[in-house]
Amino acid sequence: MAKKKDQITFSISFPASGYFIEVVQNYVGKIIKNYTPFKEDRWVKRFQSVVDELCNNAVEHGSSKNDEVKIIFNINNETVEIIVEDSGTGKKKIKAKELKKMVDQRHKEDLRTNTTIRGRGLPWIVSAWMDKLHFGDRAKGGIRVRVIKYAKNKN
Amino acid sequence: MTTVNIAIEDLENDIKLVKFEGQLDESNVDEKSKLIYSLIESTDKPQMIFDLSGLEYMNSKSIGYLNDWYLKVSDKGGKIVLAAAKENIMDILDVVGMTQILEQFPTLEQAKKAFNE
Repeated sequence: MAKKKDQITFSISFPASGYFIEVVQNYVGKIIKNYTPFKEDRWVKRFQSVVDELCNNAVEHGSSKNDEVKIIFNINNETVEIIVEDSGTGKKKIKAKELKKMVDQRHKEDLRTNTTIRGRGLPWIVSAWMDKLHFGDRAKGGIRVRVIKYAKNKN
Repeated sequence: MTTVNIAIEDLENDIKLVKFEGQLDESNVDEKSKLIYSLIESTDKPQMIFDLSGLEYMNSKSIGYLNDWYLKVSDKGGKIVLAAAKENIMDILDVVGMTQILEQFPTLEQAKKAFNE
């Protein structure tokens, strides 16, 4: 996202562990409510879910336990961009291309016949509520997942 | 650290009321799901109402478990219905298609009636 004059950037890093879910959710809630056009409770909770799913994916595929996961918010009046980066030190190593293929494949499946425990986060929740979902490999290792939501599409 | 409490109560006609309070997420859902699996396995034809009035949050993995419980209960000829879910819970269940699969009622009383009709 090209940097605009009115843009604000926030970032937070936390150890890859479910222990910090509540801290991250509170942080996301405050940013979305106070600094974005998505102030309604429905959208605050949706963004909390989206970031939670992105972070869970980063913990599952990207960062080994207690290694770093980083979240960056780039916000202006028209757009919210969220980037989640993992360190690539996790056990289930995966490249951005493979992750995208997996998500695209899942998205084609019939929701009513999905019998798996996992696999609804990125393909369904994140894809449905965000306008763009992009996967990239980091030069230092790990994956960078970027989502964008446009204020004009909030209803 | 987030928490979730799951309380089970026996209602009339062998209906189990399962009340969730708190949030179901990556930090607790694997452990807490065992209680529900145990309840399903110990019942011949489970008739269950999930009271979600105290549930603040659920992630995609929790929804995966909910779907799996539904399949296991259906295989045994039983039924799960959802009651009194908050708006954000209905929103996330809707986006993953669970509202097309599971019956849901705005109040606990309405859910109880669904078993007595």
